[in-house]
Amino acid sequence: MERREVAAWVAVGLIVIGLPSAVLGYQHWLRLAAAEQRVIDIQAYAPERGGFAPDAIRVAVNEPVTLRFAAMDVTHGVALGPGLGVDLGHIDPGKVKEISLTFDRPGTYTYYCNTWCGPDHWRMRGTIQVIDPANPDLLPAAQPDPVIAALIAEGVDIDAQHDAGRKHGDAPALIIERPPSAQRGATLFGSVTIPPEVSDPAWRRSHPPAHVLELLRQTNRQAPQADLIDVVAYLWTTDTAPETLAAAESLYNKNCAACHGQTGGGDGPAAGTTAEKPVAFADAAYLFERRSDVLYAKIRRGGMGTDMPNFGTLFTPEETWALVEYLWTLPVSALPEPR
Amino acid sequence: MTRPPSPLSMRPRPIWVLFGLVTFAVLVAPLPGAAGAATREIALDATQFEFAPGRVHVNRGDRVVITLTASDVVHGFYLDGYGLERRVEPGITEQIAFTADKPGKFRFRCAVSCGPLHPFMIGELIVERNTPYWRAVGVVLVAAAGMLVHLWQSGKTRSSQEVINGTG
Ligand code: HEC
Ligand SMILES: [Cu+2]
Ligand SMILES: [Cu+2]
Repeated sequence: MERREVAAWVAVGLIVIGLPSAVLGYQHWLRLAAAEQRVIDIQAYAPERGGFAPDAIRVAVNEPVTLRFAAMDVTHGVALGPGLGVDLGHIDPGKVKEISLTFDRPGTYTYYCNTWCGPDHWRMRGTIQVIDPANPDLLPAAQPDPVIAALIAEGVDIDAQHDAGRKHGDAPALIIERPPSAQRGATLFGSVTIPPEVSDPAWRRSHPPAHVLELLRQTNRQAPQADLIDVVAYLWTTDTAPETLAAAESLYNKNCAACHGQTGGGDGPAAGTTAEKPVAFADAAYLFERRSDVLYAKIRRGGMGTDMPNFGTLFTPEETWALVEYLWTLPVSALPEPR
Repeated sequence: MTRPPSPLSMRPRPIWVLFGLVTFAVLVAPLPGAAGAATREIALDATQFEFAPGRVHVNRGDRVVITLTASDVVHGFYLDGYGLERRVEPGITEQIAFTADKPGKFRFRCAVSCGPLHPFMIGELIVERNTPYWRAVGVVLVAAAGMLVHLWQSGKTRSSQEVINGTG
């Protein structure tokens, strides 16, 4: 054979064998080795079609992982919590979104859908168990929530029929003629005698506004009822920074509005599908008889058998309090200027 | 043959007064539901796999405010001709405002794949020609009728004249 013929054979051999092996080698070996990361593919189906697959994953502490979510049927939204601050937003059918992260301590986290995607949307959740490779069976036990523990110790039944058998929708004991205005309350605030305990935000969390209204009526006998209602509305809407309220509003719109309604009318598009009617937070007469800590407990623990989901495994306590503060703004017509 | 106009023919005949009134009415009468450029608020709900209402009528020049909701899964709204696009999530109301400045029939379709029949999720926006257009049409019709009456009347007048002159 001539030298040029040999060279040609070598070139052909390189193309026929070398090219595929380079491509396949890169795909199956080099790329994975370079990424040096576990990639976990999670398919998202509406709950009626199975929800997340898989719906439970295990990763080791300090092990970098990439979670890759693919929407299979309709648009979903994927967020991770509590306290991870990950919200991947909408994922349309056929699209994929991924997040790489490393957990630094053992514990349990949740990936969940935050875009209404079917009647059972709120059951669309999956768990991430972060284990210590040295001790794979030892997961930190869930800590009891101190607020809920305190309510139980106080003898408050979170699931008690609200207000001695009165259900939402019945005629309220408290009559509020027009939506309370916290803005007006702010201007009246100086002219009203406030009992000292009422100024304490922690005290207010465990007392309903209706109770404070009663106290104010006793200390301000000449003041019109409407004025006192506005002052109470002011007291219940001043504890939170506007940024926190804005974040809570976004959380509410994504996770709660489909049932409770965007403006709190209890009339979201899924309101007709729940075992009990979702509460209308915009009903001031109703909400003013509720305690913040009970609302908090209900959000974290859910309402047994009512189809009110539990959000304790999705949100941090701080996020939950912010949601409660946001609920208080729903029946109020005008918020005061931020201080 | 020119005759000085008689005092009688100086006075407009009742029939022309009637035409004048009709023309005036066509020009200024408030038409039901189509008074000038109005703000049209339309609640549009998206479900698998249709929009409700499926057909929307507005007048040209109207300010259209669509309150868009979704009741089951995420949908979208894309309006042909106007190039408006929005995505809507159950529970979160979206508002789309625009001026209907192009007349005609435009399709709006779902812009987010929402299931097997998604491609058939289509509605229709009909932008009617606006009131000035219809008024102009009205005036033209009245004028045409006037013309006919005029021809008929002048024919009648001439023949009576001819009868009087005994030339008929
Ligand atoms: C699947 C529908 C659904 C979703 C989603 C939902 N809720 Fe509810 N919620 C309900 C129903 C139904 C009730 C009534 C249960 C009851 O009366 O005990 C309720 C009750 C509540 C209560 C108790 C009110 C009271 O007076 O005791 C609170 C607080 C609450 N929801 C907050 C929220 C928040 C905050 C979110 C979002 C993070 C949310 N809910 C999401 C259906 C829902
Ligand atoms: Cu989903
Ligand atoms: Cu659709």
